[in-house]
Amino acid sequence: MSASLTLPGMEIAHSAVQVEPRQHAKEEALAALVEQYAGTLYRVAFSVLRNPADAEDAVQETFLRVLRHRDTLEEVRDHRVWLIRIVWNIVLDRKRRAKTRPETDDISELARVLPATGLSAEDRAAALQHHARVLAVVDELPVKERQVLVLSAFEELSSVEIAAVLNITESSVRSRLFRARNLMAGLLERPRSGR
Amino acid sequence: MTPPLHNESDCDPQRHAEETLRLIARLPAPEGLVDRVKSSLRLAPRRSGVLAWPYTLMPGSWIHSPVVRGAAAAAIVCLVAGGGWRIYSHVQPAPTAKVIVMPARVGNAGGFSNAGAMRTPDTLNGPVLTHGVIPAMQNPVAPAPRVTPQIVKPQAVTPQPGAMTHKKRAAAAPR
Repeated sequence: MSASLTLPGMEIAHSAVQVEPRQHAKEEALAALVEQYAGTLYRVAFSVLRNPADAEDAVQETFLRVLRHRDTLEEVRDHRVWLIRIVWNIVLDRKRRAKTRPETDDISELARVLPATGLSAEDRAAALQHHARVLAVVDELPVKERQVLVLSAFEELSSVEIAAVLNITESSVRSRLFRARNLMAGLLERPRSGR
Repeated sequence: MTPPLHNESDCDPQRHAEETLRLIARLPAPEGLVDRVKSSLRLAPRRSGVLAWPYTLMPGSWIHSPVVRGAAAAAIVCLVAGGGWRIYSHVQPAPTAKVIVMPARVGNAGGFSNAGAMRTPDTLNGPVLTHGVIPAMQNPVAPAPRVTPQIVKPQAVTPQPGAMTHKKRAAAAPR
């Protein structure tokens, strides 16, 4: 097998295939983004998909998209909001496509982060049950209100950043959050047998 | 600066509910996530190799000199102008037709037919007057005079002075 591909009048220049320093710098910047924001993106993805494997897939897809557009990486002002917006669109798309699939409601991941000390097995089970009910109530909210409520739980996201992720105004974020909280309160007060 | 969104709720069950969401938002990423993402980026398809131009087409070779460029530009201009002139000289303007011959209409496709009926003008056999011409009818546009029905009362027959009545006739008759 020949070492180089030859075409009539053309041949692959080995010097051109070599990674240029600028390209190398871009890949290093991308690796830094992965180290810095992979955890945040995973949490955002998990808050919507509630499945560890799907959330990890969404994170990987996010960075693959970034890799495809790494030439425009320098133009991005706020990398965190930009990445969250990408992963948000990916998870919403996945959620939409998997609508026919029954909700997983996998709370084993929550059990992993629950404070283990000072809680008996019954208390842990009760807490998990409560979380499952809350998540079910969140799923009953209208889409717009649910999205704002889920993103507002992230302490690192301000209302301005939530507005940037959802591409709405900050006042819309606040009004939707207000409505979401009212709806949540109403749904939580509803007796469980009514569901 | 925007105020935090997290301390706005006062309702207890609601706060507990949001605590669940915050619990998810604080989830630690699974171990090895960063390494897995990095390895997937490494395995992602790269751009294909750049094909180098032949030496004569490389920048800096003689083909990129201003003289050659000027000659190429002049040749292109000559080609375009020559082609245009060739087309212009070969195409003759079409003579303008003075008489437009319209094709005869064959049938009236698509319209209503007269079902074979023919109009026969009255002047062919001559008009037949059944009654005298009324002057008012000469103007067909003028409205016809309004005719009001009149009730004709029976007139009493007055005997004439010289006329004989039935009684007189009977008296005059020979017995």
